[in-house]
Amino acid sequence: MVKKIFAYSYVYLILFLMYVPILTLIVFSFTNATYIGTWNGFDLSLYQKLFESEEIMIALGNTIIIAIISAVCSTVLGTLGAVGVFYSKKTSRAIFENINQIPVVNAEIVMALSLVVMFVFIGNKIFAGANLFSFWTLLAGHIVISAPFVYLNVKPKLQQMDPSLYEAALDLGCTPRKALWRITLPEILPGIFSGFMLAITLSLDDFIVTAFTRGSGLLSGAGNIETLSTLVQAKIKKGPIPPEMRPLTTIIFIIVVLVVLFISLNRNKGISSKVKNRRKLRERAE
Amino acid sequence: MEDNYIIELKNVSKIFDDDTIAVDNFNLYVRKGEFVTFLGPSGCGKSTTLRMIAGFDFPSTGEILLNGKDISNLPPNKRPINMVFQRYALFPHLDVYDNVAFGLKLKRIKTQIKDENGNPVLKIDHKLIRELKTEYRVIKRKKHMSDEEKNEKLKALEEKIKTAKETPVPTYKLNKLSTKEIDAKVARALKIVDLEALEDRDISTLSGGQQQRVAIARAIVNEPEILLLDEPLGALDLKMRKDMQIELKEMHKKLGITFIYVTHDQEEALTMSDTIVVMNDGEIQQIGSPKKIYDEPKNAFVADFIGESNIYNGTMIGPKTVRFLDHNFTCLDDYALNEKVDVVIRPEDITFVDEKDAMIKGKIVTKIFKGVNYQYTIMIGKNEVIVKSTKSYELDSIAGLHIEPDGIHIMKKDFTMNVYTDAWIDKNNNVMIDDVPFECVITQLLPGSSIDEDGYVVSKDGQHKYDFNDADVVAEIPLDKIDVVDDIESDECEVVGEIVDLIYVGDHYRYILRTENEEDFVFVSTYSYNLNDTIGLKVKKEDIKLRLKKEVTEYEI
Repeated sequence: MVKKIFAYSYVYLILFLMYVPILTLIVFSFTNATYIGTWNGFDLSLYQKLFESEEIMIALGNTIIIAIISAVCSTVLGTLGAVGVFYSKKTSRAIFENINQIPVVNAEIVMALSLVVMFVFIGNKIFAGANLFSFWTLLAGHIVISAPFVYLNVKPKLQQMDPSLYEAALDLGCTPRKALWRITLPEILPGIFSGFMLAITLSLDDFIVTAFTRGSGLLSGAGNIETLSTLVQAKIKKGPIPPEMRPLTTIIFIIVVLVVLFISLNRNKGISSKVKNRRKLRERAE
Repeated sequence: MEDNYIIELKNVSKIFDDDTIAVDNFNLYVRKGEFVTFLGPSGCGKSTTLRMIAGFDFPSTGEILLNGKDISNLPPNKRPINMVFQRYALFPHLDVYDNVAFGLKLKRIKTQIKDENGNPVLKIDHKLIRELKTEYRVIKRKKHMSDEEKNEKLKALEEKIKTAKETPVPTYKLNKLSTKEIDAKVARALKIVDLEALEDRDISTLSGGQQQRVAIARAIVNEPEILLLDEPLGALDLKMRKDMQIELKEMHKKLGITFIYVTHDQEEALTMSDTIVVMNDGEIQQIGSPKKIYDEPKNAFVADFIGESNIYNGTMIGPKTVRFLDHNFTCLDDYALNEKVDVVIRPEDITFVDEKDAMIKGKIVTKIFKGVNYQYTIMIGKNEVIVKSTKSYELDSIAGLHIEPDGIHIMKKDFTMNVYTDAWIDKNNNVMIDDVPFECVITQLLPGSSIDEDGYVVSKDGQHKYDFNDADVVAEIPLDKIDVVDDIESDECEVVGEIVDLIYVGDHYRYILRTENEEDFVFVSTYSYNLNDTIGLKVKKEDIKLRLKKEVTEYEI
């Protein structure tokens, strides 16, 4: 009994410690003090300021656009890569696998610097001294950091998949492409989805690669593209963390919680519409 | 006559990229509606053969004909053949109904396209040309086909491509089956396997037996010409397996389609098949009806693999008279005088009789109650005899035995390989042949395994550990891998015996050395020895090939 209480209290303690910072932040988003720690009474003015602040809204818009586009691109690339590597010969598979490991374990700063050097080099040699830094270089940078992670999420799903499933699909009349689409893809879909989510997260809070590879464009217009992370960085150079960030992070956190809840609640559905259609068909036939 | 065959395999061989020969010169003719079983130990090439019929592997040489048409290089989706997979391979994201309907939804029915006047529209068949060109490339790339065969085939294909390019053919439209047609077919297939009530269930909620039925329904709903079954009952428990065996057999009768079944379980093969193909090492050992294979095994391997048997070394000492177990027996087969033969006697063909009437006598050393009868082991001299009887006899008593002539089956000795069916592994990981330890490579029992410091065999991934002490194995030693040691006192000499037979074959002699325990070692040598010389033999450990008699999982610790 005592043992049980200890075990449970340990788990709850760890969970509590994990969520304390977020809870503090949420609480202090409802007061208008500039510095966290002082409580000036309940107030929603920070939320109002947040939506009025053009700077933050532009950064937020940029961040979301980049996150979604780069996540879609890297999910497609990573998934195709994983499927291709999985079905290729043993030796080439081993080579690809090792190459893919390098960006994952490599320090991000190395990646960012190499990207900068490469873009400058290409700009000078191929595009006659043009400045390549723009939305496209930023997007390329984000895809480069997240694609290997998508690959790593899809690969175990492919390995878990019974290899005879693909063969069974061929046996039942699928062409190889159809078998991949109808059988392999649904089987690895959870891996693709978690890879996509991870790619979004990686892109959302990336600072180093963003700071190095960004140029002008998107919602920022002629100025350098600001994302949330670069904006915060720029702000804290001059003063405290902008208080409007507190309501913003609160909103992001609540959205994440809702998404997670939605996914787990929708896992067990009742009778699908397909089954109902089938029953109707049978009744009519009889 | 050839038209009666639904599928023919002609000189089919499969050599994998790493040059291992999985299937060697396989020839088989299957009649429509036959139930054929490929039987053999794991790794004998039976699954590879099945996969070549299904189209997952292509033969390196030789051809596969379906209704007289070459399908050797046709992809699986183009063959009217369906397969039930070992682990069922049901699609987990689809429910029972959609799994069964999967093949039907892909099916297209050909209807001829006609113009306004009702005349068929003629066009050049570009698709056929593309297919022929693909086949051309496949054959051109083949490594193991002889140049002559290759050129012949390529020429025939070139001819075909040419005619296809010149002659317009009627065109066809491909129509899907309607949902109604699909529904009717699925309902019927589910009824055949008794699963009507479960059509909306998820695959993961089904028991092994139910999944098995879904897999069968999914295959038969397409009305294939041949149904392939790759050890489909392997994952079921014994009771369920027996029931499914009977059900499958009945289904076969009812559907009238050809079944090709793969198993390593000899009882299953005997129960279900019309024809059994016994395989070992990629080669067919024997093809025949279950009764024929049981009663008249062609060689020691078949005799040992099918049912329990006593196998002895015998010598023909007169017309229809064979000597083994120190006694002269009358038999029905006739071979040349003094020829060394293998004698097979099924345990149920040996009867207990009074000592005075007995042909041979021995002491009962073990007695095991088997339910329907007792199984006794009787020592006669240094040989064991396994006998089954419903009567109970005392342990350690002397038993008199009688064997009718038709119970004695004599086989020509197979001189390609020394096969020892009653070998076992001792605690030092040596293989015991004739109670003599031979050094051997124990890790070959489990591909990729290694031995840890305690002498246990550890699997490739390090997850499983096996203790092969006392494990029964079949040991094989090629004739040319046995070396003679003249000094029988020396340490390297592993076994000592007397030469009982020698034949001069071309440039070397072939000897048979018989040990005190009546075990024979056949070997070849360029040196000459005389009959009755006593010499010693040694075998390099990597030249002894081992095969477990039971499943490897039984030895896991």
